[in-house]
Amino acid sequence: MDIQMKRGILDVCVLAAIQYEESYGYQIIKDIKPYVDISESTLYPILRRLEGAHLLSVRTAEHSGRLRKYYQITPAGRDRIEEFKEEWKEMISIFQFVTREGDNSDKT
Amino acid sequence: MTKREFLDELRKRLSDLNDEDFVSSVAYYEEMIDDRMEDGLSEEEAVEAIGTPADAAAQILKEMPLGKLIKARVKPKNKLPVWAIVLLIVGSPIWLSLLIAALSVVISVYAALWSVIASLWAVDLSVALGAFASFVGAPILFATGFGWTGLASIGAALFMAGFSIFLFFGCLYATKGMCILAKQIFLLIKRAFVRKEAVQ
Repeated sequence: MDIQMKRGILDVCVLAAIQYEESYGYQIIKDIKPYVDISESTLYPILRRLEGAHLLSVRTAEHSGRLRKYYQITPAGRDRIEEFKEEWKEMISIFQFVTREGDNSDKT
Repeated sequence: MTKREFLDELRKRLSDLNDEDFVSSVAYYEEMIDDRMEDGLSEEEAVEAIGTPADAAAQILKEMPLGKLIKARVKPKNKLPVWAIVLLIVGSPIWLSLLIAALSVVISVYAALWSVIASLWAVDLSVALGAFASFVGAPILFATGFGWTGLASIGAALFMAGFSIFLFFGCLYATKGMCILAKQIFLLIKRAFVRKEAVQ
């Protein structure tokens, strides 16, 4: 997959992983891994970038005697997910055009 | 590799980062290892799953904005220890005078080079003026009856005029060369200072 495209998709995947409830790094990786290949080293810059763009916010909380960072989605982050959905609707219609069967294509 | 070894290695590789990025990056990897261990992995396995510290550091540095990286590199690594400051102050009569001496040598060499140029121009100017004076003086000599001397004066004037034009171009080239040389020297000095802080 194109690097730029994968980057954008990973951003949205991370936002999607926290869209219903806040989550932490390892949990996010476990949630996304079945769909997209992601490692700790890839996730870290994404989290930094999303935080910098105010698409998510971070809080530090204690968890079994150590500190853990929890990530919450912001309204801007939700907007980003919606944007992504709109983009992909477009992509899907393009995909359908590209893969249409010759016999079934109507002349519109 | 133990968690401690991993984090120590990571710290070493990220030492160029500013404090905030450094602490946050190391904390992130520590949290990741801890979470995996909590998930049932052994310490060894948890560290292995994360990858090598070199890869982790490379990834972090790669994603850093270039401006931030350069700032991190250029910042002074460590402040001078107290004994060094004391030594600097106590030794100031020696190193200060040496520094001034070195500086004045450099400046005087520079001034000497330029004065050669200045004297060349002065020679050219005086030859040109001589030509002009002889030329103006010739009619007076003619008028006062020194015909042959006047003729010689015109000859000298022509010779000096030609010579001064010839010298003019020589001076021009010498000055241009000197400008280039001065620029080179300046660049050399600048590079000597900048090299220590260059981003590698």
